[in-house]
Amino acid sequence: MWLRQLVKRIVVRVWSWIEPTEPLPGGPRMSRQPTDNLMRTMNLVMPLKDKTAVGRARAALVIGSSLDEIYSGLDNVGTVHVARFAIVENNLLMFSFYDGDFHTYIRDFIVTLGHAFNAVVELIEDTPPLPCWEHVEEFIDWVHAHDALQLPDDPGGLIALVDPDMTNLEELSRALILQLDRNPNVQLGSYRSYPGHSAAQVREKLGVGW
Amino acid sequence: MRGSDGVIDLSEVQGNILRGYRKERVRHLVVQVTRAAGGRAWIAAASARDDTRAARITDGADWKGPPPEFCLNLGLTATGMRALGLPERVIRSFPEAWVQGMAARADIVGDWGTSAPAHWLERYRDPERVHLVVTLHADTVDLLDAGERAALALPGNESLEVVGRDDGWRFDGDKVHFGYRDSIAQPRFEHITHPGKFDDQPKASLGTVLLGYDSGLEEVRWSLPDPAMLGRNGAFNAYRVLEQDVAAFEAFLDRGADELLAGPAAEELLPLGSESRFGPDATRHSAMREVLAAKLLGRWRNGTPLALSPHDPTPDPPVPLNEFDYVDDDAGLRCPFSSHIRRGNPRSGRIVQRVSNHTRRLVRRGFPYGPAWDPAHPDDIERGLLGNFLCASYEAQFESVQYDWLNLGLMDPRITGSNDPLLGANEADSSWFSLPTRSGTLTLRGFPRFIRTRGGAYTFLPGMPALQWIGTYRG
Repeated sequence: MWLRQLVKRIVVRVWSWIEPTEPLPGGPRMSRQPTDNLMRTMNLVMPLKDKTAVGRARAALVIGSSLDEIYSGLDNVGTVHVARFAIVENNLLMFSFYDGDFHTYIRDFIVTLGHAFNAVVELIEDTPPLPCWEHVEEFIDWVHAHDALQLPDDPGGLIALVDPDMTNLEELSRALILQLDRNPNVQLGSYRSYPGHSAAQVREKLGVGW
Repeated sequence: MRGSDGVIDLSEVQGNILRGYRKERVRHLVVQVTRAAGGRAWIAAASARDDTRAARITDGADWKGPPPEFCLNLGLTATGMRALGLPERVIRSFPEAWVQGMAARADIVGDWGTSAPAHWLERYRDPERVHLVVTLHADTVDLLDAGERAALALPGNESLEVVGRDDGWRFDGDKVHFGYRDSIAQPRFEHITHPGKFDDQPKASLGTVLLGYDSGLEEVRWSLPDPAMLGRNGAFNAYRVLEQDVAAFEAFLDRGADELLAGPAAEELLPLGSESRFGPDATRHSAMREVLAAKLLGRWRNGTPLALSPHDPTPDPPVPLNEFDYVDDDAGLRCPFSSHIRRGNPRSGRIVQRVSNHTRRLVRRGFPYGPAWDPAHPDDIERGLLGNFLCASYEAQFESVQYDWLNLGLMDPRITGSNDPLLGANEADSSWFSLPTRSGTLTLRGFPRFIRTRGGAYTFLPGMPALQWIGTYRG
């Protein structure tokens, strides 16, 4: 088993040396369909600086002590359906569904809960320039860099993403392997039970105000 | 207009940012820099404080009267900065949107289909050739021509190639091609005295349009490039050549008026006997066309806001043009929340993004181009608007408005999924416009894109010291 793993690693290294692959950017891709621009996903994978139980506990306390502020901030952003935090394998994860433009989402996020998120980001490796409200563009770029690659749900979209010039389907696996070598974190799909509706539309229908 | 409090030195700001010149004519020269050193020499000469030169870049200093008879201003694209020989490190220290350029941001801005960069005017189709946008303002063509000759005679001129010109002129009453009065609502700025101008809107922070000041978003300042002085007192400009399809717009008014007259709210929208408000010869149909035109924009074509005068384009006494809000019209019965001006600037009205009221404002400077539309003699001549949309952050202002508000309607769940009726990327098979009435919400469908993009560029309008820095840069 270990030998097979070793061979895989060596083969991938050789492939990537022969065929250098640029990592694709994470986050949702642009779409002209309004339905695609609603309930988009963000999968932030943020490696903790301190990868011990002490570090994980500190992250849990920082997040836990800020939850009220974070929830009210997300409420004020107005375009967020769902957001959740988790620690997995020494990575702090923030996964969310939101509406509209990514830059606008993160910028509104900074405006409404920049202080809380600043404290969170200080726990993460390769911390961006802080405070985030004085380095908005760099902070948004940093968030974007930590937003996992999103693979399309359909094979055609997958080919178009990993190698638009592909002429032989047999090359798909290799192209995907090389991309995932550069992009280890990836979203494979996202189910939406009410596609094409904004968070505010759902709230309005539920009569809870928007 | 003058600065106060010592917060800003207006002589360091290009003159077309914080106020308009109110000239009769404009010309935008699209310029390619063919030699870096020569291009820099031209910028150094054009931005020098030397009143003996026949042409120099106009700054925003207190003019103590009307602006100069000829005004010259300069915007640079990222490819222009490269062509001028500035290091990539400096260029990359600017925001990503400007570095990428307008064509690369087409999907965000809504420039697809017939508005896609592949269909733009030849002079804009290759962003690698769009380096400078030199803007000239004057009251006559002769003055414009003389000013252009003087500007292009400055040292370094042999390194500039004019690849295209866009000429525009002011129509009577500040009208634009769809017949609306334009240029009414502009932000007024903190620390700036605007003689003769008043409205009840909150003053905008200088950082709404200039780099180096508070942005208006709580505690947020946009990053300055490196070196910081290159950004300070500069502004970003989305310069857009926007073709207006007047025939399609008027045809939609005809069809829409028929629909509204046959619908349940005809008498609410146009009370019986009120047709005379629209002229002595007005019919119910011609009057309803004007009602629809007003609902689409949010103002009557003469500029009167629906928010203050929902049934009468010429109320007596007249109402102010820019002293209104939407907080008391949440249902949109006076001004529809899907109208152009309410989408683009929801003022204090209820919106989904609660922190964003008043924060995405743009300074707009526009001139019509092409001949005025004559309904008695329809033609196929291209006409439209040369629009400048100035801001301190493309992403936070211009692109957010285009992407989230004009083209998705995200600010209000009642219109989410629809596009702006005038400026939106509409397709006839999917477009819709919500018109709230007391009889329920009417929905008009099936209208095309009325305004298509024919070109443009993301330019940076540096402050005067920054222009000198660029002009004298030696590597």
